[in-house]
Amino acid sequence: MKHISPTQVAADLPARAPTRRALAKQQTRLKVLAAARRLFSEQGYEGATIRDIAAAAGMSTGAVFANFTDKSDLFREIMTDDMEALVAAMRDAAVRGRGVEDAVLKVFMAGYTFYKSRLQLARAAFSVSWDKDGGPNLRGMTSSQAFQDVFAEQLTAAVERGELSKEAEVKLRSQMLFDTYLSNFPQAIFEGWSLDALQARARDQIRILLAGARRG
Amino acid sequence: MDADLGRIPASPSPRQSQKEATRQRVIAAARELFDTHGYQGTTIREIARHAGIAVGSVFTTFASKGEILSEVMQARLDPLYAELDRVVPHLRGPTVDRLRTMFAIHFEFEHRHVRLFLSHISAAYDWTLAPAARPYGRNARFQELIRETLQKGIAQGDVRPDVDFQEVVDLIMAAYGWTYRLVITDDADAKALIAVMDRQIGLIAEGFAPRN
Repeated sequence: MKHISPTQVAADLPARAPTRRALAKQQTRLKVLAAARRLFSEQGYEGATIRDIAAAAGMSTGAVFANFTDKSDLFREIMTDDMEALVAAMRDAAVRGRGVEDAVLKVFMAGYTFYKSRLQLARAAFSVSWDKDGGPNLRGMTSSQAFQDVFAEQLTAAVERGELSKEAEVKLRSQMLFDTYLSNFPQAIFEGWSLDALQARARDQIRILLAGARRG
Repeated sequence: MDADLGRIPASPSPRQSQKEATRQRVIAAARELFDTHGYQGTTIREIARHAGIAVGSVFTTFASKGEILSEVMQARLDPLYAELDRVVPHLRGPTVDRLRTMFAIHFEFEHRHVRLFLSHISAAYDWTLAPAARPYGRNARFQELIRETLQKGIAQGDVRPDVDFQEVVDLIMAAYGWTYRLVITDDADAKALIAVMDRQIGLIAEGFAPRN
């Protein structure tokens, strides 16, 4: 999803124009989200406090809490926006794939390209997602499930085309593809791998994971 | 980090042994807190209080929370690898089953303090992680064990000779690490984790099997 702009909010309310108050509230939300995104990227999830986020957005902590219940709510909202946009980009990319391995590779690359400019935010998300309290919050999100669905769609289509066998264990393979996609992020985050390096690695990984499902 | 760093020197000066005692107290206190409250839920201040020492003393020994966790995990891993070193050379049968056994040992071991392990993974992405810390997944000793297992598989003919070991190792490690996600989402026990890992190893093995 894109950020909801005030004009979109207006479009969602066809009956009458939004009140000035509603518009102001929406502006506040967007300012807080932009500031939070920057601070989470600079200082990590733990390091960024609501107080700092409020200061960066030029408002009081009270004004932040009027819009978001807590820090995890804020983080979740940012992640939801990104994940929805990314899932759409992955589906678009997959359409251009030639054959299942290429389609899956394009899904991987759509993700790495998307996060190339926001690796530190990805890093914060990984940190939160492995936390026993924060984890369910992120992982339970429907958009998180949507990633696995994207992989499953590619495999299912390949089974229907006859490219993969009917016993392809689509669910397990989709899960593992998603895990493998995620597992390359540390190389990108900590070792500065280029998109080309990630692509070469991902191509081999996908080949290994699909090998047993190929027909003939 | 050098594995010998944690050991007490042969004839320590009083000052050194006091420092070592502090270190051990910090590690013990941190282990308990990480296991109970997770990585993000534990602060250095709480670790200091729990260990009964001043916050400043913690910082004279450790640079960050991430470094403390790294030491905690290292101290725990020694017995696990002793066990693996003892068992692995005696494993027989297909490569896929030998790998399954190695990971079953891991899950049995880690599941007793699974929250600690989750902390370990979470910390791999943490901002305070020192360069000296050993994030999850970079354990050279374990990767070497997997490589040896694959090497043996080439000799016995169920691993393709031209397979890229590092790629297979990374895939297996990815599957292993992410399997712990089931603890967070499904509250999975060791048995459930092992069952899922067995299937994943089977699938990867199809990828490294010789082509007919």
